[in-house]
Amino acid sequence: MLRYVFTRLIYTVVVILGVSLLVFVITHVIGNPVNVMLPLQASEEERAQLKHQLGLDKPLSTQLKEFLAGMVRLDFGKSWWQQEPALQLALRRVPATFQLVIMAFTVAALISIPLGIIAAYRPGSIIDRFLTTTSLVGVCLPSFWVGLLLVITFAVKLGWFATSGYGTYRHIVLPVVTLAILPAGHMAQIMRFSMLDQLNQQYVTTARAKGLDEATVVFKHALKNAATAVLTMGGMDLGRMLAGETAAVEMVYAWPGFGSLILETIARQDFPLLQASVFVVAVIICLINLAVDLSYGLFDPRIRY
Amino acid sequence: MKVWSRVIALLLAVVLGISLAGCSSGQKPAEKPAEKQPEAPKVKDSITIALQGEPTSLDPQFPDDGNMRAVTDNVFEGLLELDGQTLKPKPALATEYKVVNPTTWEFKLRSGVKFHNGETLTADDVVFSVTRIIDPKFKSQIAGNFSSIKTAKKVDDSTVQIITNGPDPAMPVRLTLLKIMNKKHVESVGDKVTTQPVGTGPYKVTEWNRGVHILVERFDQYWGNKPSIPKAKYRFIQEGSTRLSALKAGEIDLAVNLLPEYAKEVPQVATAEGLEFPFIRLNHFKGIMANKLMRLAVNYAIDKEAIAKNLFGGYATVAQGQLFKPGYVGFNPNLKPYPYDPEKAKELIKQAGYKGEKIQLIAERGRYLKDGEFAEAISMMLRDVGLNVELKYYDWQEWLKTLFNRERAPDMMYSSHGNEMFDADRTFSSLVHSKGPMSSYNSAEVDKKIDQARTEMDPAKRQKLYEEIGQMIYDDPAFICVVNLKDIYGLSKDLQWKPRQDSRITLYEMKLAGQ
Repeated sequence: MLRYVFTRLIYTVVVILGVSLLVFVITHVIGNPVNVMLPLQASEEERAQLKHQLGLDKPLSTQLKEFLAGMVRLDFGKSWWQQEPALQLALRRVPATFQLVIMAFTVAALISIPLGIIAAYRPGSIIDRFLTTTSLVGVCLPSFWVGLLLVITFAVKLGWFATSGYGTYRHIVLPVVTLAILPAGHMAQIMRFSMLDQLNQQYVTTARAKGLDEATVVFKHALKNAATAVLTMGGMDLGRMLAGETAAVEMVYAWPGFGSLILETIARQDFPLLQASVFVVAVIICLINLAVDLSYGLFDPRIRY
Repeated sequence: MKVWSRVIALLLAVVLGISLAGCSSGQKPAEKPAEKQPEAPKVKDSITIALQGEPTSLDPQFPDDGNMRAVTDNVFEGLLELDGQTLKPKPALATEYKVVNPTTWEFKLRSGVKFHNGETLTADDVVFSVTRIIDPKFKSQIAGNFSSIKTAKKVDDSTVQIITNGPDPAMPVRLTLLKIMNKKHVESVGDKVTTQPVGTGPYKVTEWNRGVHILVERFDQYWGNKPSIPKAKYRFIQEGSTRLSALKAGEIDLAVNLLPEYAKEVPQVATAEGLEFPFIRLNHFKGIMANKLMRLAVNYAIDKEAIAKNLFGGYATVAQGQLFKPGYVGFNPNLKPYPYDPEKAKELIKQAGYKGEKIQLIAERGRYLKDGEFAEAISMMLRDVGLNVELKYYDWQEWLKTLFNRERAPDMMYSSHGNEMFDADRTFSSLVHSKGPMSSYNSAEVDKKIDQARTEMDPAKRQKLYEEIGQMIYDDPAFICVVNLKDIYGLSKDLQWKPRQDSRITLYEMKLAGQ
């Protein structure tokens, strides 16, 4: 187990290094922060001067060396716009996103897993039909659009919640619901599918034949086996929410998380802050994947590390 | 049975969908929820302003950041400030100034001005602020505005001289952009200067909750008129439709930068001439547009009123045949927009001997308000008079490279222009002078006048030179000047504010009804 975790952590370092290198190369080859930072009317000399100040006139290999040397010490430099250590700025945005993602994920799981089980237990029933249709709709709806719709309905027309911002329950309900729709749809589909699969297995028939009560059959035996698929999907969804979905939702609700930070940073081409933000996201996603892989063992005794 | 359950399930799904969307069709008109203002105070003592993004810093000397200026313009002051409607510099921290010699400006400081930390304004603070912003090591993003300044020196406790590299008649306007900071504070807080602003302005920052809000409060020891609104909160809402929603829900009192199509929906709309507007640059150097008749023809071919009305929903005015607006130094009041006259355009094209050659129009889209649609409208109107216009959209970086490279200058190029100095030199030096970074105009005579005006210290003579240049590039056109855009603000019912020509968001000029 420890040995496995250790190997995985080494992989994680490799992955993060790879991601950082990729971002470094893409930003430095395609980007042109000088043109973004200066007004159109700026002169050639002003442009050259800023380029020099940012160190962008050095050869790419030198810049890369400096970047790697800094990264090893977790020093990404100061944000070009905010003049504060970039990593610190990126980390400050993590709690808000975590709050949003964890609540949304919990809501999604609490709704989708029971519904998925019921649907699988009574395939073809109204609940099943309802679930398969709505979950499909949920998976297909773009969260940006859903967000705008919810704001108009529940904040502007009904006034139950705030349109945007951060602080109380009035601010968090709508973004959580918006963010929960997609993973809820996903997980409900997977739960239903894998549960249905397990309930048709022979061991279920055997368990029933030997007179176990239905609850034990469904929850102790079938669910435990069906859980790994949901777990995999859930882990992927969690990663996807952290790295992508939140950006759109945070944008609509003016939520101060790192999704919106990354979007702002890309627009401003603030390389140090962009590197630091991508680094933070990459670390979090690697850790989630590790946690998911480790938890398989809890459900499937055949998996040992 | 199976069919039935399928139908019912579908119905349920549809009902759910409608209940999501349907509420917005509004069977129940919006009732202001009672819980929103639990103990509604009789007179509101605070307003909320939604900006487009969070300020990157509150050090007014460092970034070129409009979101920051929306806050710091109320917290810091310069030696001079602009009048929001006439755009003329007027006294602020300096009570008077004089030109000692063409490269020396002398300023008398206002006495008894307090900083938010209790310190009194002295000549040392001014000298410190000027030398700080021009210091290359400080890397200010707005240092380019002050590149003509050589140094500043203290004459006595309330007199400062600013020395320039050469004569710089635009100095007063430049100084409205140079905010004065407290030397002692900046030197003692170090890096924290970005989050702990100490100015002399009518408001002081009381809290910056990162990502959430900035709070400001009236500064009691302010030297000038006491502003009407005691407190304000700035929120950061990037998404335009969310700003609109927040305003409609009564959560905010002022939303900046609304789209024209949203303007109908807000409680109160206020507009002012904005800073940025689109125009078409014509290639005077080479190619088919080097022919003056062709450049005149395209000016007659554009229906400017239609673009202002239909594309920008009326939130634009037809440009006065130049890239300046009334109030700018160098505005020529005698110029009129070229009338929309397609017949005349066709005649000119015939005279020019045009034979259907391809004419390039390079544009970008997604960066400025309705930029893609604007270029599309222009190219359609030009095709209507028989020009074979090929419209191409470049991505931003490619478009910039084209804009700044004269060798690659296309026949026509869409661009956007903003002149935050309100002074003709910035525009002419970059866009008209044959050595300007974005110029595709080539006239030795015009160059000479631009160079001359740049160092002309007599305002009347300078104005006359600019009016002459304006006339020259109107008669032998450098551009198609189309429209000036308006800034659109959404206000709550009880907020009173007249937006300014310089796009500054001046909390100290706002009022609440009933105050």
